[in-house]
Amino acid sequence: MIRTDQLSFNIGDFELGSLSLEVGEGQYFALLGPPGSGKSVFLECICGLKRIKSGHIYIDGRDVTGLEPRRRDIGYVPQDYALFPHLSVKQNIEFGLRACGDGRESLFSKVEQIVEMLEIGHLLKRRINGLSGGEKQCVALARALVLQPKVLLLDEPVCALDEATRQKICVLLRRVQRQLGLTTIHVSHNLEEAFSVADQAAILHRGTLQQVGVLNELLRKPKNEFVARFMRCENIFCGEVISQDAQASNTLVQFGDLQFQLSGQYHGTIKFIIRPEDVLIFPESRYDDKDENKFRLNLSWWRHYGSYIRVELDGSFELVAHLPHAEFAGLKAESGRNVTVVLRPEDFHVLGE
Amino acid sequence: MATAANSPVKGWRGRVFAATGFLFLAVFMMFIVLLIIADIFYINKKAVLTVLTSGFIRHALWMSVWTSCVTTFLSLLFAVPVGYVLSRFQFPGRILADTIVDLPIVFPPLVAGLTLLVFFSQTAIGKWVQEDLGLEFVFQPKGIVLCQFLVAASFAIRSTKTAFDDVDRRFERVALTLGCTPWGSFRRVSLPLALNGIIAGGILTWARAFGLFGPLMIFVGSFRGRTEVLSTTVFLEQSVGNLEVALAVALLLIFVALVALLVIRLVGGKALVKL
Repeated sequence: MIRTDQLSFNIGDFELGSLSLEVGEGQYFALLGPPGSGKSVFLECICGLKRIKSGHIYIDGRDVTGLEPRRRDIGYVPQDYALFPHLSVKQNIEFGLRACGDGRESLFSKVEQIVEMLEIGHLLKRRINGLSGGEKQCVALARALVLQPKVLLLDEPVCALDEATRQKICVLLRRVQRQLGLTTIHVSHNLEEAFSVADQAAILHRGTLQQVGVLNELLRKPKNEFVARFMRCENIFCGEVISQDAQASNTLVQFGDLQFQLSGQYHGTIKFIIRPEDVLIFPESRYDDKDENKFRLNLSWWRHYGSYIRVELDGSFELVAHLPHAEFAGLKAESGRNVTVVLRPEDFHVLGE
Repeated sequence: MATAANSPVKGWRGRVFAATGFLFLAVFMMFIVLLIIADIFYINKKAVLTVLTSGFIRHALWMSVWTSCVTTFLSLLFAVPVGYVLSRFQFPGRILADTIVDLPIVFPPLVAGLTLLVFFSQTAIGKWVQEDLGLEFVFQPKGIVLCQFLVAASFAIRSTKTAFDDVDRRFERVALTLGCTPWGSFRRVSLPLALNGIIAGGILTWARAFGLFGPLMIFVGSFRGRTEVLSTTVFLEQSVGNLEVALAVALLLIFVALVALLVIRLVGGKALVKL
């Protein structure tokens, strides 16, 4: 388990402000945020590589705030791996054990065990400079895991890899983490990467935690506009509540000349979103101006994004939709053609401040 | 190492660019080689025989070699910790310290000798060191090493600092998370990675110490069979009119320096390949 209690750190103008976070035993936790948000700094504070201003850090129930990095029982894989270029792969993996003064037999068995798990036996005699990005990642992971740490801290572990290798390494990370039951923090700015490995996540922005929760919750119910945008929701609206239907538990919101029906009771000016995958699109013939939350929009542009098609709509307002291939084919879409868009009240989510 | 296979395809501009570089290299090498050839043609068989058979010159050669080696060792002994501190730690007065370390590089050679002479013969601390501690430097062989150290150690420190600057701190930090103490991280990571620059600093120091002349003449003099080194032998021989012998000694000095530098580079090069 990893817990930070009111952790503060500052350097120059940058400040990590009172971060309290708890990562449960054996959990794979993703720490997300744009570049410069303080993710790596936070990880380095947990490692003991940065001296915190105030607060406490607990690893496995032990207060490690004042301890040297080597006494914290951590496995740390830095960005770009930082493998020692003057040592071979085998020497890199053995490095920590030798530094801790492990005996020859114990050293041999621990290295063999981890090498077998990561399937990197064929790399042992190679030099670091000749390794591919994926191989370097495996070696860096082996170097960290061979010390049998209580927690694993990964700083952008796959950001420098190509897509195929990235997916392969993410699967490997998840397998190893489950096998060893390691509490893991994985720092990343990539959403797909986080979804492929993590159980829970936190989003950091300018040194402040924006939201912590399971990834689907961050996706469906972002707390604020920053989280919504980070979770790639582009359909963000700002409107004025004009009436409430207490019985139906709905709120009618004025947005420009349009009115949206939202599930739930709200007051005043609100910001709300609808996920692109929740936007329903039908042929224009299904349009009826008497229906609530049904709009006629112009299909202006679309592009294939692998598993879905991103569709951009404009007209009385702008909207982005993600459609499955079959659904999009059914539309017989042409650029400039009008379509009917349905936004279900329950699919809207109102953002906080 | 750049080879034809891994260098990019060159157009005529690229060839002209490379040729220009090689032209400057060739001109400089020619200049040095021509000077040496001129010396070789000036000396005669008798001068060579004198150099090869003179006990004093053999003693001067031995003094030059061992004092410059001891100076290099002492300089590196200081250069590694000083270079590391200047490279890694922020402290008040760091820029001043960095400048003072460089100061001996710009000392005119005579000033270095005079300063040492004044310090050890005129100041209380200098007198205490010489008289009470019994460490006599003025006009003594030990003074040669001190003189060389003063003038040459800065080169070792400068090179070592640059070498540590080039070692990515991430390596040291990762080592700390892998069970190393700061000393362990320095010994296992920083030092081996900076070895290239440290060797370069050692070469510069040795070369500077081996050819030193001015400060030695003032601080230790040139007493035959005692404080004479090859560079001062050249001066002694030419001052009594033995120009051929002076040049023959100079050629011996150049030859020894050339062999030593080549050996250090080759051995250093092998060490670097192992990295």
